[in-house]
Amino acid sequence: MASKNTNKAITFISRRAPYGDSNAQLCLEMALACAVFGQTVSYVFLDDGVYQLLKHQDARGIDSKTLGKALETLDLYGIENVCVDADSLSERGIRGGDLVLEVEPVSRTHIAELIDQADTVFNL
Amino acid sequence: MTCLHTISKSPTSKLLSSCVSVLKPGDGILFIEDGVYYCSPAESGRHPGADIRLFALQEDVAARGLSVPSAADVELVDYAGFVGLCCEYEKIVSWF
Amino acid sequence: MKFSIVVYAAPHSAEAAATAFNFTRSVLEQGHDIYRLFFFGDGVHNASRLSVVAQDENNLQQQWDQLIRDHGLDSVICVSSAVNRGIVDAQEASRHELGAVSAYASSELAGLGQLIDATMHSDRVINFG
Repeated sequence: MASKNTNKAITFISRRAPYGDSNAQLCLEMALACAVFGQTVSYVFLDDGVYQLLKHQDARGIDSKTLGKALETLDLYGIENVCVDADSLSERGIRGGDLVLEVEPVSRTHIAELIDQADTVFNL
Repeated sequence: MTCLHTISKSPTSKLLSSCVSVLKPGDGILFIEDGVYYCSPAESGRHPGADIRLFALQEDVAARGLSVPSAADVELVDYAGFVGLCCEYEKIVSWF
Repeated sequence: MKFSIVVYAAPHSAEAAATAFNFTRSVLEQGHDIYRLFFFGDGVHNASRLSVVAQDENNLQQQWDQLIRDHGLDSVICVSSAVNRGIVDAQEASRHELGAVSAYASSELAGLGQLIDATMHSDRVINFG
C-alpha cells in the first residue's frame, strides 16, 4: 500500500459521453482504484464527459450499467475533489439542476491548475 | 510542472481547442497519429501563441504524405525525439 | 528515466497500439527503463497469442511478446478488461473452463492496483489510446 513518499496527486479528466464507448467507465474504475490505494485524486468532467452527469439515465434498455448512478461511488470512495467544466455545460445547454451529482462548475483556468499540480494525468 | 500534451486525432475532434484552453506557459504540444493533420496550413490559425512549442512526429507526417515547411511553427521529431521530449517535460497528458 | 506505458488501443483497430510499441522500443533503445506496461480496456488485445496476419503484415501482438521477453519487461493485462474480451491465461482458462489460453505468458493478468503502483514508482506515465 501507499506509504507517505509514494502518495501522488492524480488528476482524471473524463471527456467521453457514457455508453458509446468504454472510456468513461474505464476512467471511473481507475480513479476508484487510485482512491483505494490512498492517492490524492481530482476528477474533472470536460467536453462530452459532462453528459455522464445528466439525471434520469436508465441504461437497462441498452444492456448497460447506468453510469450516472455509478458516479455516486466517487463520493463513497472519498473522492471529494470532483468538478465539471462550466463552459462544456453551457455549450451543451445543461444547467446545474440537471446534474446527478453536486459538482462544482469550474473554469478552464481551474482545470489548468489541476493538471499543473498533478504528478500524473489520465485524460480519456 | 511543465507538461507535454500529445494530440492524436484529426482537427474534426476539436482536441486542440480543448487542450489549448488548459495550457500553461512553457507547455508543449506534440501531434501524433491523425493529430499531425493539425500541421496543415489551413489549421495554423488555431495554433497557440509562441510560448507554446509545437512538435509533430515525423513518422506519422511522412506516412500521410504531408510535409511541414522548415519555416513553419512546428518542429519535426522522430521517436527518439518523442522520448527526449517526454524527459524534457515533467509530465505527459495524452489527448485521444 | 523510468517510464510506465498505458495502452488502451487494440492492434489493427487503432494506430495507437503501434505508436505505443514504437515508443516503448525507442525508450529502451535510449537506455531508459520501463517500469511497467499496462494494457487496459481494448488494449488487452495486444497480448493475444491467437492472432494470425498476412505475410506482409506486422504481427504486433507477436512483436510485443518478443520485446517483453527480450528485455524482461514487467507487462500487465488488466484482468477485468481481459476476461470479458476473451484474453485469458492458463489460470483463468481453467477457472472458467474455457478450453483455450489466449494470452501470451509474457504478460500477467492482474488488477488496477498494478497501474496505481506504476504511477507511484515511475518518473513518467504515458497513455496511448
